[in-house]
Amino acid sequence: MKNLPVTSYLTGIYLFFYIPIIVLVAYSFNDAQYSLVWHGFSMRWYHELFQDGDLWIAVMHSLVLGVAAATIAMCVGGLAAISLFRYQFFGKRLLNGLIFILILSPDIVMGISLLILFSLLQVTLGFWSLLLAHITFCIPFVVVTVNSRIVSFDQYIFEAAKDLGATDTIILSRIILPLLWPALFAGWLMSFTLSIDDVIISYFVAGPDFEILPLKIYSMVRLGVKPEINALCTVMFCLTLLLILISQFALRKKP
Amino acid sequence: MKHHDRGLKHFSLSVIWLWLIVFALLPFCLVTLASFASHDDTHLLKLPLTLANYWQLNNAIYVKIFKQSFYIAGTCTLICLLLGYPFAYAIARMKHRFKGLLILFIIIPFWTSSLIRTYSMITMLKPKGIISSALMWSGIISKPLPLLFTDTAVMIGLVYNLLPFMVLPLLTNIERLDNRLIDAARDLGANRITTFRKIILPLTMPGILSGCILVFLPAMTIFYIPDLLGGSKSILLGNLIQNQFLIAQNWPLGSAISVVFTLLLAILLLIYWRSTRDKENRDLL
Amino acid sequence: MIRIVLAVIVVTSSLIGSVAFANENTLNIYTWSGVIPDFIIRQFEKETGIKVNFSTYDSNEIMYAKLKADKNPSYDIVEPSSYYIDRMRRQDMLETLDKTKLTNYKNLNPAFMHQAYDPQSSYSLPFIWGITGIFLNKDYFPSNSIKRWSDLWNTKYVDQIMLLDDSREVFSMAMRVLGYSANDSDPEHIKEAYLKLKTLLPNIKIFNSAPISILIDEDAAVGMVWNGDLFKAKKENSQLEFIYPKDGFVIWVDNFAIPKNAPHRENAYKFLDFMMRVDIAKAVALDNNFPTANLAAQKTLPTEIRDNPTVYPSQDVLRLGEFQTDIGDAALALYEKYWERLKMGG
Repeated sequence: MKNLPVTSYLTGIYLFFYIPIIVLVAYSFNDAQYSLVWHGFSMRWYHELFQDGDLWIAVMHSLVLGVAAATIAMCVGGLAAISLFRYQFFGKRLLNGLIFILILSPDIVMGISLLILFSLLQVTLGFWSLLLAHITFCIPFVVVTVNSRIVSFDQYIFEAAKDLGATDTIILSRIILPLLWPALFAGWLMSFTLSIDDVIISYFVAGPDFEILPLKIYSMVRLGVKPEINALCTVMFCLTLLLILISQFALRKKP
Repeated sequence: MKHHDRGLKHFSLSVIWLWLIVFALLPFCLVTLASFASHDDTHLLKLPLTLANYWQLNNAIYVKIFKQSFYIAGTCTLICLLLGYPFAYAIARMKHRFKGLLILFIIIPFWTSSLIRTYSMITMLKPKGIISSALMWSGIISKPLPLLFTDTAVMIGLVYNLLPFMVLPLLTNIERLDNRLIDAARDLGANRITTFRKIILPLTMPGILSGCILVFLPAMTIFYIPDLLGGSKSILLGNLIQNQFLIAQNWPLGSAISVVFTLLLAILLLIYWRSTRDKENRDLL
Repeated sequence: MIRIVLAVIVVTSSLIGSVAFANENTLNIYTWSGVIPDFIIRQFEKETGIKVNFSTYDSNEIMYAKLKADKNPSYDIVEPSSYYIDRMRRQDMLETLDKTKLTNYKNLNPAFMHQAYDPQSSYSLPFIWGITGIFLNKDYFPSNSIKRWSDLWNTKYVDQIMLLDDSREVFSMAMRVLGYSANDSDPEHIKEAYLKLKTLLPNIKIFNSAPISILIDEDAAVGMVWNGDLFKAKKENSQLEFIYPKDGFVIWVDNFAIPKNAPHRENAYKFLDFMMRVDIAKAVALDNNFPTANLAAQKTLPTEIRDNPTVYPSQDVLRLGEFQTDIGDAALALYEKYWERLKMGG
């Protein structure tokens, strides 16, 4: 620790990041019905958390939505990235531009625009509207992730494969996909996380039949009536931590 | 063989085009159209088309909210930059064996639900929360600090949520910095400040800009942060738009606000795009 | 590789299928937050085998907007305040109730039926009622130091006051301070009330309609509150005090109703009848602490609640109250316009 100012600055920022989370974890053991002030140690919110059927349904809904949205976004986004890389076609720049705009357009504008679309098409707000919305906001992130990997490919591989008589489908399944799967997986993981975490867009296109976790947490936080939310946040934080550690180790093996 | 080729190409292209047109282009056109519509008690959107919604925005209150939003988002971006740059720099230049671990610890909050982090901020900022209690215990203040439900709380919440978005692009950018350039500048007699100003700052500009965009854009629209930390006094554009759609029932006005907002952002991005045109490094995201 | 992709697609689509086409024997309930406890919902599910999707709101406007935004009706039960019953009834948004399906209808308090907002009581069933009054925390301000709404304008409360996040409630307060009725619909008076409220802005710290943790943790020490919420918060913070403002206050009634073309009407009737049962209404009243509109249940409540002046005020006190009634769409729109301005800071 040769450089005290630097070390203390870094420590300060890390404390800023982590103290609120640590406090949250501590409060999840707080024995108080409504209050956020310390009243004594208790495990009862964890107990209540695991008893709360509605909450687990919301968790399940979010997981299904996340997996479905991420998978479809991965397929569509992957195809888009590959096409943009391999083919020349009319409107290529426009497509590129559209994807770029989609990344940069504010969540709230995307949320309301989809709400207007669904309202005009008379789509019932619920699972399908959420799924379509989530796929839409995940696609550009998959394209960007896959694209960053695909540009490092050697064009000659494809030329060689073509010369040897491989069709496009074979090139896709035998060359591109095997080389690309880490990027596709990264895109999938990113989409899944975005979907699980999204409040703003879901807020506009969700319906009563299909409650999802972020909206449930939002209403719990806003209406502040259930202390088990501390326990829930702690559990979710630990799961995120686990997921990050796993993905870090997985990525480290394959440089 | 040729036939096969076309099949796959056509299939992928039509899927992508169809998706983007129906779920991206069409909705944006609809918002623009809706911004010219009228409404009444029974119809959310109806004819005739009118410019009234845009005229309404000329009202001092709306102008104030636009200004305020840009001001708050701008301040938040600046704070994130001032806090994040030295932080990213110190970590990127570190040769410590824990460096990997330290980077991992920045990624963790980046991936943690922003709602959860906002909620944890509430527990911190309460008059009876940890900050007030600690300050009172140490004797710095005698009365609980009324932090929660103030603009300061909103700002703290925004910075807390968005700081990782500033740090990560900076980190990647600074890590790629060529040490030899800095050494060369030093050898040629430049002092620390000159080296920073003439070498480091220009070279890390792409990272700074990406970070600023990643912070600035969400800062204006995360409506739940002012909602939870600011006491429901609408202050950001996000709240205003949400309010028009889900409470006040004025879809045309909400659409008009969104259109103006998107245009303003587009102008900002265009400036960014122009300013980085010549540079080879245009690594947004 | 293709096989893996196919497997993923099959798994995903079966997941989608299992959720999207799940059990149809459901009921979508949308009520004010904090008025129906979870255990009641669970008991209903257990007794009937109906799966309940339960969501909550914290303002009539949000509920109304949600119903309007979705072209295909999706909620089966809503719980609007009386003046919204009137508005929604006039816009043909509510089902006429078939009372032959409601065996416990007789338990309801006749005092809350056949009111102006629903003259035939054909669209709504009163559920809870209450009073909008003032709270203060005795740790911060002396007991009884506030007597009337107009005291809130005192400069010593700068940046301290909590108001409900509810346009009608806040404007009613201003109307009473100005000496008008809480149900005034005169545009001039509404504007006057708006200007009066503007002068209160420096004192307002927060707008919130689900304030229990705010009351307990003393995030605000004085302000406007519903009596049931205060009673609930007082169990964890004994310093809280409820005051019936001397310049008059609002008595509100929240009612159950079935939105037009609700998808699960039969289940909705089962739920309404269930909620009017004496044992259920009693359990609900003991949990949400609001005065119940179920007279039969009210009689079975323990005396410390039945006689608690915060929950069931005496007839003498009630004389200062005024029932909240509909004011017409034009006036309501005006209230909302000024309300929006107010929340934007003027």
